[in-house]
Amino acid sequence: MGRPKVAFFDLSCCEGCQLQVANLGEDLLDVLELIDLVEFREVMSEKWEGRYDLAIVEGSVVNDESEQRVRQIRDRCNVLIAYGSCATIGGVNGMKNRRPIEESQAAVYGDKTDWFPATKTRTVDQVVKVDYYIHGCPIYPPEFIKVLKAALAGLSYPVPDFAVCVECKFNENVCMYDKGVTCLGPITRAGCNSWCINAGNVCYGCRGMVSNPNRNGAEDVLRRYDLNPELIANKMMMYNAAKESTDE
Amino acid sequence: MNQTLLPKTRLDDFIRFLSARQKVIAPVSLGNNQYKFDEVSSLDEISLHYIPTILPPKKYYMPQHETLLKYDVSKGQEMEAVVEVEELVLFGVHTCDLAGIQCLNMVFSDRPKDLHYLIRKNYLTLIGLECNDYCDSYANCAMLRNHLPKGGHDLFFTELADCYYVHVNTHRGDELVEKSGLFDEMNTQAEGELAELRTRKKERFKSEVAIRYQDIPRLFDETFESPVWEDVGNRCLACGNCTNVCPTCYCFDVMDEPDLDLTKGRRIRVWDSCQHEVFAKVAGGESFREERKDRKRHRFNRKFKYPVDRYRRIFCTGCGRCSRTCMAKIDLKETINALMEERE
Repeated sequence: MGRPKVAFFDLSCCEGCQLQVANLGEDLLDVLELIDLVEFREVMSEKWEGRYDLAIVEGSVVNDESEQRVRQIRDRCNVLIAYGSCATIGGVNGMKNRRPIEESQAAVYGDKTDWFPATKTRTVDQVVKVDYYIHGCPIYPPEFIKVLKAALAGLSYPVPDFAVCVECKFNENVCMYDKGVTCLGPITRAGCNSWCINAGNVCYGCRGMVSNPNRNGAEDVLRRYDLNPELIANKMMMYNAAKESTDE
Repeated sequence: MNQTLLPKTRLDDFIRFLSARQKVIAPVSLGNNQYKFDEVSSLDEISLHYIPTILPPKKYYMPQHETLLKYDVSKGQEMEAVVEVEELVLFGVHTCDLAGIQCLNMVFSDRPKDLHYLIRKNYLTLIGLECNDYCDSYANCAMLRNHLPKGGHDLFFTELADCYYVHVNTHRGDELVEKSGLFDEMNTQAEGELAELRTRKKERFKSEVAIRYQDIPRLFDETFESPVWEDVGNRCLACGNCTNVCPTCYCFDVMDEPDLDLTKGRRIRVWDSCQHEVFAKVAGGESFREERKDRKRHRFNRKFKYPVDRYRRIFCTGCGRCSRTCMAKIDLKETINALMEERE
């Protein structure tokens, strides 16, 4: 049995998450010993006609063409990983769902709207079955390696369903709220090792919300810190709009 | 000799003496009136007057991530136990945190003994530091009688006017005193100052909640169904901050982390929290403590009731970290007061 055939694909995204793989450094060499990389447009021009053991899909589904494409990928692969916020929760692409699609199209394409047919932003799992999720904008490289190992070994990878605060406490960061800054850590799911806060930034919620956030409690907290809940809701919508109840 | 003095002018020499032998860990400032235990090599890096650090010193006794063993599946079930240890001196540990370590010692010495913990513990030297006054209003150490030294240290420092009164509690502590050659003999002036300080503390530190130590477990027994838990549960975000910063919370999860070759790997344990929704979830998706109020109530009982049944000791040290860190401002003293009011 040869090494598993692995391919990277991109739908609507900036391909920045794939860049994280290209930037893995020495770990990349170990990864390449483990897999047979057959398609990865960001780093190679070869294509593969056969079946994929593992397809890693970045980006959201934003038009019929990308829907068709992701369905074809699903048909040709054994295991599919939704890769990066755009794929897992819609990411910034989801923002266009917050207003009528025609308005978004007109804003971007002006009078050429007809040339670029578009649909509402959908996550990969709103179109096809997803086996593994790697959240983040961009993905956190150590988590990518974790999930890759799980996928190749056939083990499950449960995405942590607790707040970023947990890992942030492990890292003993001074809480952003104590510094008077809003942070989405308390309602965003962990797995990133509080990457942004470690580096002095706040959490933008790019990994999506924990599955059962205490919304009323969170609003209480915001009021206590004299923060406007609408502002936070807005911030949360930067990445999470596609996962909000759709009108379909 | 179990009492000695260290002139303040020689404290820096003592820290440097320790640091030349092994790593020294002490409270350092992070700004925003927050502190953490971190490596230091001289006195000027240390914050001697600090409020409890974000994480308690338990992180040196049971690290956030800890390798328990290494495995290699190419050799069947072959596993090799690993204890990652290094000699450390923890300097400036307050009495609340010494109490926390005493609690952890009891738990991990209980059967089945936790060898990883017990081996590591032997590599750690504890130098306590007395709080001459309250750190802030979150603390409830007097309620739990942890405002005064109750052992658990190798050396214990109490700040007097010009020197530190040092209690030598172990052979290891004695050795440091002897080898450093920096300590003076106890004298009557220091004795007087110490007695004065302790009297002053007696006046200053009073039980922060109007309840006697021995009556606390019963309070939790009688308020198990109290609506107070409903209110606390409604506010809780289940972020797990309270358990991570707690000096006596020791729950952990164990998992295997394969190397990239998928053949070798490590079994690790990571801090877990009863406040997380998945913590009490079992096969089939059932959960023993589905609601935040159930989990919050469980945590309080795990401090004030259950360990008393098992270890005859309350597992709250009074450090105040949980109240200090809680974004929802669920305050330990307020919660106990609310339970007491409700019971009446």
